[in-house]
Amino acid sequence: MASVAAYDPLATSGSWRRTQAKLLVYIPLAIFAGYYLLPFVIVILNSFRNNEEIFQNGLISLPTSFDITPWFTAWNKFCVGGTCEGIAPNFYNSLKMTIPATIISTAIGAINGYVLSKWRFRGSEFLFGAMTLGVFMPGQMVLLPWAFILGNLGLTNTIAGLVLIHTVQGISFTTLFCRNYYVNIPDDLIKAARIDGAGFWRIFNRIILPLSPPILIVTVIWQFTGIWNDFLYGVIFSSGRGQPITAALIALSANGTTVREYNIMSSAVIIGALPPLLIYFFGGRYFIRGLTQGAIK
Amino acid sequence: MAATASIAGSDLGAGRVWRERLGRWLPQIVLTPSLIATFVYVFIFTIWTLYISLSDSSLLPSYKFVGFEHYVGLWHNRRWNIAYTNLFLFGGLYVIGAMAFGLFLAVLIDQRVKGESIWRTIYLYPLAVSFVVTGTVWGWLFNPTSGIEHFVHDLGWLGFKFDWITDRDMAIYTVVITGIWQASGFAMALFLAGLRSVDQDLIKAAQIDGASVWRIYFRIIFPAIRPIFIAVLVVLLQFAIKTFDLVQALTRGGPGIATTMPAIYVYDLIFQRGQIAEGAAAAIMILVALLFVLVPYGLYQRWRTRRETARG
Amino acid sequence: MRKTACLAASAAILSLGFASLASAEPKTNMLHQWATGSDAAAIAKLGEMFTAAGGKWEQTAIAGHTANTLAKLRADVVAGNAPPAVQLKGPEIAEWNATGGTANMDDLAAKEGWDKVVAPELLPVMKPDGHWVAAPMNIHRINWLWANKKVLAAAGITELPKTWAEFNADCDKIVATGKICMAHLSADWSDATVFEVVVYGQDIDLFRKAFVQADLDALRSDGMVKAFDEMRLMVSKYMDPAIAGRDYDTASALLTNGNAGFFIMGDWEIGTLTAAGAKPNEDYLCGQAPTDWGKPGFILNSDSVVFFKQKDPDYIEGQQLLAHLILSPEFQTVFNKAKGSIPARLDVDLSNGFNPCQQLSQKDLQASIKEGTLVRSMAHNMTVLQKYRGAMMEVITEFVNSPNMSSKDAAKAMADAVEAQM
Repeated sequence: MASVAAYDPLATSGSWRRTQAKLLVYIPLAIFAGYYLLPFVIVILNSFRNNEEIFQNGLISLPTSFDITPWFTAWNKFCVGGTCEGIAPNFYNSLKMTIPATIISTAIGAINGYVLSKWRFRGSEFLFGAMTLGVFMPGQMVLLPWAFILGNLGLTNTIAGLVLIHTVQGISFTTLFCRNYYVNIPDDLIKAARIDGAGFWRIFNRIILPLSPPILIVTVIWQFTGIWNDFLYGVIFSSGRGQPITAALIALSANGTTVREYNIMSSAVIIGALPPLLIYFFGGRYFIRGLTQGAIK
Repeated sequence: MAATASIAGSDLGAGRVWRERLGRWLPQIVLTPSLIATFVYVFIFTIWTLYISLSDSSLLPSYKFVGFEHYVGLWHNRRWNIAYTNLFLFGGLYVIGAMAFGLFLAVLIDQRVKGESIWRTIYLYPLAVSFVVTGTVWGWLFNPTSGIEHFVHDLGWLGFKFDWITDRDMAIYTVVITGIWQASGFAMALFLAGLRSVDQDLIKAAQIDGASVWRIYFRIIFPAIRPIFIAVLVVLLQFAIKTFDLVQALTRGGPGIATTMPAIYVYDLIFQRGQIAEGAAAAIMILVALLFVLVPYGLYQRWRTRRETARG
Repeated sequence: MRKTACLAASAAILSLGFASLASAEPKTNMLHQWATGSDAAAIAKLGEMFTAAGGKWEQTAIAGHTANTLAKLRADVVAGNAPPAVQLKGPEIAEWNATGGTANMDDLAAKEGWDKVVAPELLPVMKPDGHWVAAPMNIHRINWLWANKKVLAAAGITELPKTWAEFNADCDKIVATGKICMAHLSADWSDATVFEVVVYGQDIDLFRKAFVQADLDALRSDGMVKAFDEMRLMVSKYMDPAIAGRDYDTASALLTNGNAGFFIMGDWEIGTLTAAGAKPNEDYLCGQAPTDWGKPGFILNSDSVVFFKQKDPDYIEGQQLLAHLILSPEFQTVFNKAKGSIPARLDVDLSNGFNPCQQLSQKDLQASIKEGTLVRSMAHNMTVLQKYRGAMMEVITEFVNSPNMSSKDAAKAMADAVEAQM
């Protein structure tokens, strides 16, 4: 992987110089790792402390108590959104919304990218440019128009409505990613296949798809985290018990007129961040690889 | 691809002709639903907002035309002025900070470090975390009575002060710190991807010439990945212009109105205060700001493709 | 199309025919912002009563910013899918009423005699153009002064201050003992709460002109400058420097832990004090916040539920049931015991199980109605339109957070900000 091996400072001669160079690299890396990990570590620690102790010693402190109950309370007992079932129902709602929206928008993006890179026609570049503008739309602005459309489609306050919104908004991203990636696949491959009589779908299935995993992983990561973490649409376009996880997290962190339960909040925060974290954890290496191979050009 | 050959040579029928015609238009047909959806989403929604910004809408959208008075009102509003001043301050520091940190980390990781995937994961994970979570947790850390300040006091350094989040003049920097924390991993990933795509021969040639590491980076590698710099810049700038969740969860625009951002103001106007027309005007101003970023970028991209095609 | 129209028509005829036999099954979905804690528990009680009465209860609780609840409401109305019942307050009721989307509850109100039992100050709010569109759940009092008995005793203070001069003198004594005089937190609503209590206590006419009528001259007047002066004194001397970034429960803990002597806060404080194990008259005292005009006074805040027009007969039936339950003495008792407020009905007996502070609240409410000193709260969105309130609160909070802002500038800025919204 490392293309810059040739001037690798860690390989320069002299053992002191080598150590020096190593320190120069690893010390900053470690300092930055501290900055990045600090919030995470504190949340993990707090999720195992009891609330009295947190109030006594502050939020940043080594635990003097160990309590695993906040996790269970957060998951299925804590009263939030008017019911005392924890954040589990919201967690499932988020899954029900995120998974279909991610799959559909990625699939559409792949096909669009394929058309816009390999089946160009007059004006297709312009259409591509217009489509990517969707990436930039501010969310607060489109809320009311969306409400109007969902109302007319009879999809207000349904998971299907949220899936529709996230799919339409996602198409711009996924098309952008996939098109930029597919542009780098040599046209000769496609030409050869067409001469062999392969059609639109056959080329897609036989040539494009097998080459796609890196970019599809990037797209899935991007879409999944974006949709999972969205709270504006989740709050506005859901109702009753259909609210996604971010709505529950906002409720937990709200500066209300009641005592805050930091330990339960901490556990809930971790549970709520877990799915995208796992995706990053397992897909992270493909993320960089996919980017390297041309997602952003 | 041997299987594809067997299709050729089947008989020609009416259905076949129809299918062929369909086949010729298939790419366009496949693209059409997405085009319609994005057309509605981008253009119709924008035009609707533009019209609403010129209407007398208040609690609910209404369509009586009144002209530009809401834009005038907006630019006379102190909070809006604070909001866009904040945008410049925040946007500048956030973009520069995230790019600098990202580049620095990417270069470090690129030194064939041990456990690369671990470092990468550490820097990248904030990107996976929602702003709701990010804002809440950093809010705890910045809170002088329970966070970092309290912690340092407990260690015995009682004179220590870190109460930026409560200070009107400093609160915006807590937003910057949190924003950089969230986004610099993303910049790192893109830069790392760029570093890895640089032509090795160029580097080797420079090495043979005896160029120093600094020189190689600044004279060869960074110029070679200039498009990446610009892509990162544009992505981060548009994040900055649209900043909403982060501020909402971290400071709610406070203390006072010190950390108000345009997007927060739009939301407050349209939804809390029921001044839909003025909120729409503010939203249009956000779009204008985005255009200031996007149009030069689009022109640059065109120029680049043209140059590349010219070079063959 | 024609076929469905036919079907609908025959269904309508059928339902008309059966209306007397099988009435609709009451259903509701209440949109509110009490998502956590004791507030949520109080609403859960309403749900239980609704279910027990044979209804199908659903709720949409949206936490955090009020803007989120209003955004949801606006989106639902734009989508043509207005929620049957929404928690809305003060002038917002009139605003939404003006859009023509609210349901008329006059029949039920007449049948149950709401006009006679509901506090008179609430009537114009609940019936913006003469028709009932909302049901009040409670009456909160804003102008409360809470005190820690031990801290007061240590400073040699024997009773709660009656006037602002006495209050300042007491504060000086408390500060001299090394304690914080006033617990406070950083939020626009809490800054505005203290400020409106000051304005009200100094000059009730000024309160009415500035905060009820949004009169620009009153906002800019010397009286307002004087109120800002008192506020500056409080912020700079009587509150501690660490208010900013503090949240409500931490501020309340300052009072219960004996770090602070006074707290100016609405009566939801009772719930928090009780949760912290503090007892009225033993650990804490409650009394009317200082006034310089020597009469009982009351700044009122009320939570209410507004009903929006529905097509589904089940939801219409549900609205009738919900309104009936909300105004029932039983719910008013349970809900308000938990919330620290008092019933919106004046005919509920508080001697049974209510906190002494709540009993005092009811007494003062009656007295202030008689004296003509009852006002509605600006800080808690009961008087002026949200845009004016927002403008006022922005300036008040800015003043609290800017040590260099002069009282005169603040009064002028507040008037200008309101004017800019007109």
